[in-house]
Amino acid sequence: MRRRVYPAIGLLSAATIAFQLSLMQILAITQWHHFAYMVISVALLGFGAAGTVLALFRNVLTAREDRGVPLLMLLAGAAMAAAVGLAQHPAVRFDAYLLFTGARPALRLLLTYAVFFVPFFLAGLAIGWTFSRHGRDIGVLYFWNLAGSGAGGLAGLGLMWVLPPAGLPAVLAGLSVLAGLLALPRKPGIALIVTALLSLLCVAAAIHCPPALVSSEFKSLSRALRLPGAAITRTAASPYGLVQVVSSPALRHAPGLSLTYPGAVPVHRGVFSNGDWVGPLPVASGNGGPRVEDYATAALAYAAGPRRTALVLDMGAGAPVRQAIDRGVARVTAVAPNPRLPDLLEAEFADAGTPLPGPPALTLVRSAPRTWLLRDRATYDLIILPTIDTFGGTASLDAIREQFLFTTEAFGDAWRRLSPRGVLSVTCWMDYPPRHALRMAATLVEMLAREDAGDPRNRVAAVRSWGTITFLVKKTPFVPAELRAIRDFCRRMNFDPALLPDLRASERAGFNALEDDRFFAELDGLFSPRRADLYAAYAFRIAPATDDRPYFAQFLRWRSLPNLAAAFGGRTVPFFEIGYLVVFLTLLQTAAAAATLILLPLARRNRPRHGKIRILLYFGGLGLGYLFVEMALIPRFGLYFGNPIPATAAVIGAMLFASGLGSFASERIDALRGMRAAVPAGIVMLAALGGVALTPLLLKTIAWPTAAKVLVSLAVLTPPAFLMGVPFPAGIRALAERNEAAIPWAWGINGCFSVIGASLATIIAVEAGFTALMLAAALAYLMPLAAGFGTRGVPSGGRARA
Amino acid sequence: MKRTGAILALLLLLTAPSAPADDAERAARDAMVRTQIADRGIRDPDTLAAMRAVPRHRFVPPDLAASAYADQPLPIGYGQTISQPYIVAVMTETLRLKPGHKVLEIGAGSGYQAAVLARIVREVFTIEIVPELGNAARERLRTLGCRNVRVRVADGYDGWPEEAPFDAIVVTAAADHIPPPLIRQLRDGGRMVIPVGSPFFVQTLMLVEKDRGKIRTTSLMPVRFVPFTRRR
Repeated sequence: MRRRVYPAIGLLSAATIAFQLSLMQILAITQWHHFAYMVISVALLGFGAAGTVLALFRNVLTAREDRGVPLLMLLAGAAMAAAVGLAQHPAVRFDAYLLFTGARPALRLLLTYAVFFVPFFLAGLAIGWTFSRHGRDIGVLYFWNLAGSGAGGLAGLGLMWVLPPAGLPAVLAGLSVLAGLLALPRKPGIALIVTALLSLLCVAAAIHCPPALVSSEFKSLSRALRLPGAAITRTAASPYGLVQVVSSPALRHAPGLSLTYPGAVPVHRGVFSNGDWVGPLPVASGNGGPRVEDYATAALAYAAGPRRTALVLDMGAGAPVRQAIDRGVARVTAVAPNPRLPDLLEAEFADAGTPLPGPPALTLVRSAPRTWLLRDRATYDLIILPTIDTFGGTASLDAIREQFLFTTEAFGDAWRRLSPRGVLSVTCWMDYPPRHALRMAATLVEMLAREDAGDPRNRVAAVRSWGTITFLVKKTPFVPAELRAIRDFCRRMNFDPALLPDLRASERAGFNALEDDRFFAELDGLFSPRRADLYAAYAFRIAPATDDRPYFAQFLRWRSLPNLAAAFGGRTVPFFEIGYLVVFLTLLQTAAAAATLILLPLARRNRPRHGKIRILLYFGGLGLGYLFVEMALIPRFGLYFGNPIPATAAVIGAMLFASGLGSFASERIDALRGMRAAVPAGIVMLAALGGVALTPLLLKTIAWPTAAKVLVSLAVLTPPAFLMGVPFPAGIRALAERNEAAIPWAWGINGCFSVIGASLATIIAVEAGFTALMLAAALAYLMPLAAGFGTRGVPSGGRARA
Repeated sequence: MKRTGAILALLLLLTAPSAPADDAERAARDAMVRTQIADRGIRDPDTLAAMRAVPRHRFVPPDLAASAYADQPLPIGYGQTISQPYIVAVMTETLRLKPGHKVLEIGAGSGYQAAVLARIVREVFTIEIVPELGNAARERLRTLGCRNVRVRVADGYDGWPEEAPFDAIVVTAAADHIPPPLIRQLRDGGRMVIPVGSPFFVQTLMLVEKDRGKIRTTSLMPVRFVPFTRRR
């Protein structure tokens, strides 16, 4: 085999992974990120389909590899360059919001699947073809594949800082074409030369004229841009999302504003990330007039008493920071998970000639808020959590997003950062049937119980408006003067107290009535010793989220579905939990397609006749297990480093590189007696150990310097990742020895199970937690162990026998 | 006489092919009112009559006309929707309208809600921020003979102060707060209805009442394709 094919495979792998990340970003900008996940999952089945095609047409393809592989690499590049432009064509472009309105949008979704499927299929065909033809060199080949993928992930994220989202795919397509050029034979022939030129032309055209990205007309940004005089005044691209600032004389923002507000709501500039609303840029105050922020339930913390120090966890676009400064807080610390937002805020204020104050009056921290809570040692009079949900509810779009800031443990961390008379403030939009507010109350009560803080009723106050409810948790019991101040605040604002130590039932709906009083009964139930009964009986999940299952916005309870359908109508139920249901839809689609792709080669005449189950178990288990481990580790290391996106890239990069080294060494390891069984057994043990011991270890060392944490991470990640790189090439090599015909099928199985693994891992994490997911990974690695490669010989197929 | 007869014959000839279609649409409308609205508890006869009379299919894009009487909201372009028939009916009934009332609507959209209101009250003032939608709604309402509806293309946030106060206000495109100018333009004793939430997901109907200067809100019910009548 020509040596140049190795780096070509590396380049193609890098291009493919980076292209996948780029598509995720583009789909998150133009649609919902959930649909990005679904579309990409289906497209990634291109790898599985490549295995199927190779298995079906192996005889035709065998002799033409030296020209076929570079041809496929070139075509994959051309397809990458053209894919986004094609998907944005008016005849193809789909709108996720309209999927439920008829057949045409669904047809467009299928077309989009097809457009994005092609580049992955072509790339998968090139890689799989090389693997199946050179099974004996698989250790080195797989090293280049994994190392290239790892480098591609890092490079893709790096390029997102400097290139606009629409321009990135064309650059990555160039990498794929480069891989094709590198793999060209000495005498390529006219067809390959023409293809190379045309592919280069495609890439050049896409770089020169990147497609205009058209967002769904229902996205927040699209709506804002239709306002009179609307214009985008600032744009900043990064892996955290495309941040844009919009100004319009009709853009006003005053969430949950009291109906007694006497002034005019000021016009704001709005900040959007990936087309979704983040918040308003704070306006300069000081004209002496009323401020909208003071006429919302979130102002309760200031109404109940003076605050000298405040910690704003997730500052959004900066409104709570401005409010804290205006309310006389002497020292404000504001934490921003997206580092672009503080940059933006500082630039906007500097441009306006009113620079933001520096430390100690205002300290801006770029970190995940929970990580900061775990590292910080200061105490505060006020800790403000970000508002939960949005105006009118988001139908649980965040159901599958890990929210480490809203777990019982996180609230405990915040509690320990409160000064002796400090308060913790959190606001939720009211949804119907009530879910967010009840889960928030449950989380607060559980936290107080864990912290042994006495009767929670003496320490929790809540105030409700027509749209929001704000909870205030105080380190010490509320005193009469504070209770009087809260009641006075409610009277002035047309708000109703929902929780107070001395509350009368008649006070609860004086200004804002509900359909019935059940919300109050349920709220009271959560403050009783029998709250676990309510968790069990309620139609939605309202038990607190934990660090092991940090899904605050996931409420769906499967056993309640029949009752919910009976009460609310069967067609309505999906809209309670659209975010989570999209994952199930993805799993169903990919599982059905994967089953077809795996079974199809078995229908041919020269199908493998022996060892099918063992091949399925072995390569399926490897695909599932690897994804499970990755999916369990990524959120934890995101929390560990406080910057989820670079942490994700680093985890994936480190794992893939270590696995690549494992693959490189696999032949030698394989030659050692008994190692074929020992390696999967070792992975099983390490995965099980990780499930139990990883979180305590990371929490113990989270305050360490970054360099030390990198060392800890490498020490934790590399041993299992190294071992995880061994079994796949070992299995392929074993097939190459006696059952070469089965290699493409095995490659396809591995690809299909990897795709299924992504959505299955999410479901396991939501339903049972990360510990269970690691244990599931251990179980998945038992599958190759059970398949018995090496211990009971190599599964051989009909062809090898013949 | 002969000429009149010829004109009549011509008219008959021209209208004959569409008569079955009209009948089908009327039947669909009757079915919509019966199954989606009356059966779900809407009792106000004026509301039911207005919903029966207004040709909803004329307010949706031609390619969605077949779904005009379906139990769902439909996109009308520019990120806007025509509300689900049931929501239109609930909002109309909730306003407790009388024939002499003057009503303000914020967010004309296709003009359907305004056409329903116009069947019940004396005057309807409707504001649409998207010029293309507002102009199309004005033309559509004129064609359908809704002479008591005035359409303005403007930012509805400031209401229609020259015509204030209003006996009732319907906001069909709510922001994250209830605009203070609208509260000021609501007559004492008046009622305002706002559906809160995303048009394709779960919405909550909110009633705002003004009584001797005091404002009171009531979350009426969450609504989607069917009313969420929770079991008592």
